[in-house]
Amino acid sequence: MKPRAIVAVGSALMVLAFGSAAFAQTDCKKLVPASPWGPNDQTGATNRITPAVTKAAAAEIRDGKVIAMSYPLTDGVPLFGSRFTKTILTAVSLAPGASFGENQLTYMEDTWLSQSHVGTHLDGMGHIGRQDCYYNQTPMGKYINQNNMTKLGLEHLKPFATRGVIIDMVKVYQQANKLKTNAACKKACIEKGTVITAADLQAGLRMYNVTLREGDIVIIHTGWGDLFEQFPAQNALYNSGEPGIGKEAATWLISQKVVAVGSDTWAVEVIPGEDPKEAFIVHNMLLTDNGIHIIENVRTDLMAAEAAASGRATFFFSMTVPKGVGMTGNFVGIEGIR
Amino acid sequence: MVALALAPAFAPASAQRTFVIAFANLTEEPGVTLEGTGFTGREIRESVALAARGLPVEMVYYDNQRDDARALANAEAAIARKVDLYIQYHRGAANAAVGEKLRAAGVKVLAVNAPVPGAPLYTADNEAAGRLAGEALAQFAARAWRGQSQMAAAIVGPVSASAERVPERVQGVTRALGQRLPAVRVTVIDTKGNPAQVGPLAGKFIGAHPTGKLLLAATDDATALALKAAVEQAGRVQDAAIVSHGVDRSIHGGMNDRKEIDPANRASIVIGSVAFYLDRYGYDLLPLAMRMLRGDAVPARVTTRHLLVTAANVYVEYPPSDMN
Repeated sequence: MKPRAIVAVGSALMVLAFGSAAFAQTDCKKLVPASPWGPNDQTGATNRITPAVTKAAAAEIRDGKVIAMSYPLTDGVPLFGSRFTKTILTAVSLAPGASFGENQLTYMEDTWLSQSHVGTHLDGMGHIGRQDCYYNQTPMGKYINQNNMTKLGLEHLKPFATRGVIIDMVKVYQQANKLKTNAACKKACIEKGTVITAADLQAGLRMYNVTLREGDIVIIHTGWGDLFEQFPAQNALYNSGEPGIGKEAATWLISQKVVAVGSDTWAVEVIPGEDPKEAFIVHNMLLTDNGIHIIENVRTDLMAAEAAASGRATFFFSMTVPKGVGMTGNFVGIEGIR
Repeated sequence: MVALALAPAFAPASAQRTFVIAFANLTEEPGVTLEGTGFTGREIRESVALAARGLPVEMVYYDNQRDDARALANAEAAIARKVDLYIQYHRGAANAAVGEKLRAAGVKVLAVNAPVPGAPLYTADNEAAGRLAGEALAQFAARAWRGQSQMAAAIVGPVSASAERVPERVQGVTRALGQRLPAVRVTVIDTKGNPAQVGPLAGKFIGAHPTGKLLLAATDDATALALKAAVEQAGRVQDAAIVSHGVDRSIHGGMNDRKEIDPANRASIVIGSVAFYLDRYGYDLLPLAMRMLRGDAVPARVTTRHLLVTAANVYVEYPPSDMN
């Protein structure tokens, strides 16, 4: 998720970096809370992933079963706004006479031209702010150049080796007899614009007798990802809105001291939002104010099915985030290990 | 969005009774736009559904189909459904009978844009909107064309569409221009609801003023875009400023749309449009309805808070928060 408004702010910030004062006077202490991990913190909620948390999460691996939780990243998947992702194959050594040595070695490689917030991806600390104020009261105008940020980049994050908890909202809504679905979904899904409340999340946890622990990563299954899987046929519908958490649910998740919140949607939060004049407010609440990561376009259906079959909604959350220096986010590979 | 400060402080839904509210829409006929703007009935109904999400209400929807008999039948169906409050959006003689039937059945009524006798009315304020547009043009002229002696103004669109109260819009523009720029002659150009006529009629006006500056008020966004094309075709982009009414999606757009009013398009001669917010009616109507249901007094007339939307505030008023 990166609205064009943010791109526009980003452009303004690039100007700032070279001396304009449009945002330079912003007092970030008034706009963004301080990090509980101190004034120099650039790590955010991954501070919560201590060795004890990782060790406890390892107990979730009982059978060694690995469940994919990422979508393939390829041309045609739904993308936000003007984003793009494109691969170009270099295969020159397959040309006659171009192989190397007597062993006729050939090679191929790719050029991957892509924006970072595409497909299954992580929103980092530098993704979302208020004006030029980002996580931990960082006046971002001072910390950007033409290529990247010099604060809050992905290189500061700890590994995401912790417990994952899937909350099957489709099942919650079905059991409460309030599932309003969308006819384009081949499997059950929750209609866009549906506000997922704290009570809904708590009902989903109760369903599997789970209590959230500090350091958990919460993954919400809405079924909306079914439209992502139908790319490109349902891209316009997928992009037009989504079910997701509202502000009250976000507040509750923050109180649970989670590390990240993910979903099978492109913004995790309900779209259209609860207040039409607020833009992606849950992003501000989670990322800007609390350093809690957002993971978008997560493949959730397989883990939801696994939880339903086994009666267990917890797993070891394995996710690789490249140490992209100064980057605001990146596509990720996620596996849930049980 | 409402001119009056409405108290939205509701207790948690779980602690309250759930009310049944009916919304009878003017029409949901595809492609039919309402109130002399680019908004459709579907957009209005969807705004009601979105606004209902956080309230202890069950919504029931009807389509009056711009038909008196249908409007009466819908009211009767709502009475049989035992709704608590009925939001009536209809223009026609049936409004009086609808109001009587509902009141006799103990159902509270809230009227939209056309009065129902005895019921509070929520309505657009076309005159006020027109004044905002006129003042925006005058301010632009004072800022950008100071000292320019040759200036002409035109108000373009279905200016005689009295059912949609477009003449009030025209009156507002005329008054504002008259107060701020008394020396400027204002020409009213009636396209009679035919967008294809905007180009030829505006072309004549532009041609009749080969020198000097042109202040153009469009009564709706579609007309504004057609006016812009006419100005471009005449090679007069440097001489013209356009202010519109509506701020429908055609002009503020989604993420990937080409947006006429856009921070990245600050040089557009469409310098702004006065918002009518039909796509947010629900966020005004339902808080009013809740006050009525709780027995609180509500004003007899509540108007939309119109606002001039420009490249400077369009992302505040309409954050492009879908991916399309």
